[in-house]
Amino acid sequence: MNFNNVLHILGLFLFFLGLAMIPALVISFYSQGGDLKALAGAFFATSGAGFILAILFEKTEEKISLTRREGFLIVTLAWVAAAAFGGLPFLIYGVTPTFADSFFETMSGFTTTGASVISGLDHLPRGILFWRAFTHWLGGMGIIVLAIAVLPVLGVGGMQLYKAELPSPVKDKISPRVVDTAKLLWGVYVLISLAQFFLLMLGGMNAFDAACHTFATMGTGGFSNYDASIGHFQSLYIEGVIIFFMAVAGMNFALHYRLFTGDFKSFFSDGELRFYLLIILVATAVVTIDLHLNLFYEMGKALRSSLFTVVSIITTTGFVTDNFDQWPLPSRIIILLLMFIGGCAGSTGGAIKCLRILLIIKHSYLEFYRLIHPHAVVVVKLGKQTVPADIMASIRSFFFLYISTAIAATLCMAFLGLDLISAFSAVATTLGNVGPGFGLVNPLSNFFEIPQAGKWILSFCMLLGRLEIFTVLVLFIPDFWKK
Amino acid sequence: MKVIIVGAGEVGYNIADVLSREGHGVTMIDQDELKLQEIAEKLDVLTVHGSGSSPQVLRKAGLDGADMIIAVTNSDDTNMVACLLASSQSNVGYKVARIRNAELNGTSVIFDKNHLNIDLCINPEREAVKNALNLIEFPGATEIIDFVDGRIKLIGFSVGPDSQVIGKTLRELRLLYPRTKVLVTSIIRKEKILAPTGDTSMQGGDYVFAVSASDELREMLRIYGKSGEALKKVLIMGGGNTGFMLAEALEARGLSTKIIEKRSGRCEDLAAMLEKVTVLHGDGTNQELLQEENIQNTDCFIAVTDDEEANILGALLAKRLGAKKSIALINRVEYMPLVSTVGIDGVINPRHAAVSKILNYIRKGKIVSATPLHDERVEAYEVVALETADITDRPIKDVKFPPGTIVGAIIRREEIMIPDGDSVIRPEDHVIIFTLRSTIPKLEKMLTVKLDYFE
Repeated sequence: MNFNNVLHILGLFLFFLGLAMIPALVISFYSQGGDLKALAGAFFATSGAGFILAILFEKTEEKISLTRREGFLIVTLAWVAAAAFGGLPFLIYGVTPTFADSFFETMSGFTTTGASVISGLDHLPRGILFWRAFTHWLGGMGIIVLAIAVLPVLGVGGMQLYKAELPSPVKDKISPRVVDTAKLLWGVYVLISLAQFFLLMLGGMNAFDAACHTFATMGTGGFSNYDASIGHFQSLYIEGVIIFFMAVAGMNFALHYRLFTGDFKSFFSDGELRFYLLIILVATAVVTIDLHLNLFYEMGKALRSSLFTVVSIITTTGFVTDNFDQWPLPSRIIILLLMFIGGCAGSTGGAIKCLRILLIIKHSYLEFYRLIHPHAVVVVKLGKQTVPADIMASIRSFFFLYISTAIAATLCMAFLGLDLISAFSAVATTLGNVGPGFGLVNPLSNFFEIPQAGKWILSFCMLLGRLEIFTVLVLFIPDFWKK
Repeated sequence: MKVIIVGAGEVGYNIADVLSREGHGVTMIDQDELKLQEIAEKLDVLTVHGSGSSPQVLRKAGLDGADMIIAVTNSDDTNMVACLLASSQSNVGYKVARIRNAELNGTSVIFDKNHLNIDLCINPEREAVKNALNLIEFPGATEIIDFVDGRIKLIGFSVGPDSQVIGKTLRELRLLYPRTKVLVTSIIRKEKILAPTGDTSMQGGDYVFAVSASDELREMLRIYGKSGEALKKVLIMGGGNTGFMLAEALEARGLSTKIIEKRSGRCEDLAAMLEKVTVLHGDGTNQELLQEENIQNTDCFIAVTDDEEANILGALLAKRLGAKKSIALINRVEYMPLVSTVGIDGVINPRHAAVSKILNYIRKGKIVSATPLHDERVEAYEVVALETADITDRPIKDVKFPPGTIVGAIIRREEIMIPDGDSVIRPEDHVIIFTLRSTIPKLEKMLTVKLDYFE
């Protein structure tokens, strides 16, 4: 392990993170909301710390080439550092009383969870609100991936970082070079974001709200500028635009890129995408009927509420228009399940991902097939591609680890005094990077009441969920540190 | 530039390594999935599993937008089909194929525009033979690379233990031997590359790269304590393609040549194809056979079988039994530094030769020739100085070269100059430049950056 290079890159990254605060700083300067000092302080502290770190630890080679281990370490450290330093504006301004709160809020931002400890959003200054939403947008496509795209010094080492930050069950590099891949992905991301921004403006949102809600939608985050979330606007048009773009953000961005290059065929024939749309369709239908029958919503309202909520939860965004904690049990169970499913691989969404669920279903089906035809040679296929056995194995381990983590964290939360529904849904919603849960953490309330220790545990869950478990947990394996 | 490389063997891997580090988009195709996984781990390239002769696989690898295809599998047929598909199914600008068949070479009709339309054929074996012939001609050297059609040679050798240069600085040497045009470009001391200055002094055991005009090479090697006599009796171990081509070339030069081959059938073929060469049936690592064939009076033993470990052992054995010089064919770069320490005098490396020829081709235009050296950390370039480049019309000492870069020679029409700090490069000069691989993009920019301005 070359710690010089690790810390040097970490320094560069922090410096870069500091620069990312400049837009919020500018907005704060023009809106005069009294948060300029907090943002400026955070800006200087972050970029200053990064600058010092990068100078203190000089890189040992012209173009840094990283090992896999260094890749895992840098990415995990970078995310923790991002949450720690990125939370400084909240801490200094005082909107979060303790470091644990600011860390939670920022981790929730960067991991695109959208679980908040802040209430009274409607009265917060614009600089703070902007930075809060902006963390979603940065974290959505991956802060490290953005750094790879703009920092040439990462060179070849970028590949290891890319793999550690965007672990994907299947290969989806869209260009031979990782730098180009990162640039293309961010390019697509920016274009789609611009489209949403203008569509929201058309619907009568002011530019500031449109920008913040675009960030939160495209990153599948869920921070809103209002306590009532999207419910604040009471507009069918805005809900429609947001439903569409949440769904888009929950799809694989490599497919969007292909769509931009005119390759419609591979977009619509993608097995995972079809599966994802199917789940949305079925879940919406069931919830609509449930709301209509048991809660006596009229059909139009039931459909509007259920479609918005289903898309918001499966893409792990977490915007709300209706308090689903009040819904009948069948609907609540479906919502809870969706928290575990998540968006497509290669999207900005979190949780287990449709691709893994789909492959596990196929794999389980083949087990039955093998019972009937003991001599059959069978392979799991995705479209026309065979999924290699080792990838299947790693998907199964992921599934196992994901569920075990959820159970272990629920147990911890229970020790801290939460009831079962609150504990389990709080863990499911943070691990899946969704946002709202049930019980204590229902859509209308927030995570402020959770004890300090619980906030650290849930922050850790968010990190695990965003980096897909392995990247973080591998650091706790003793072999990782052996020379 | 988008490049597709078919075949993830040693040659393919090394080219992919160099090109991806220089910022080109590389896609590799191979049938061995494990090998591809390993490559995807190490290099920043895209890998596609499948056969390089399959149109579908090539399309998946992005044939439509590719600028160049390099087909370097072990199979000539696959390579030719891949290149053919590249020109028929798409419009790939440059096509390079590795062709091992000795009956075909770059000038064969089937490679021209109307048939297969392949721009460059490389034959690692043929390159290896060229290499071996150079080493036989200049026995003191471990590596020899031709520049400017062979008029300038770059040689790598270790300084002899009783050479008169030991302890002298390069500046003193220049005064002592004013008439020999030699420039020491890099010294490898204890596995580290030094960029020498006038004050660097020579030590015994240094491995030196130097540039010299061909006709002064012998004199230079004498000064550095390496015997300069040409060899007369050669024994070749291994009668494969390389062995055969080598024997044929040596025969044509009138050297007394013997060739040892294990397979009796192949021996008969060799005997039929070669006129004066003595063909021996047996194992080249067999001591009795070597003694029987008078190994102690042999000037040079060259081991060129497919098995590189056997080549090393054979060369060592022959050396111990009294061969004046032993040369081994080695493909793996890792073995290169080992070889001179164990006492083998020279190395031929077909893969290395093939890689350098391909790189050379890729950098064509302003760069005439590029050759990776020693562990591939250093590269030598032959470039044509452009009027617009930053390096012309000023003393070399004022040119801001990246660190570690040295101008080895300037060739102006017929005249060869070994430059010092006050020499001036003029437009149209051929210049030989040495540089560390890490600074190549910077250097390439220097050589060409202003060109874009006028185009």
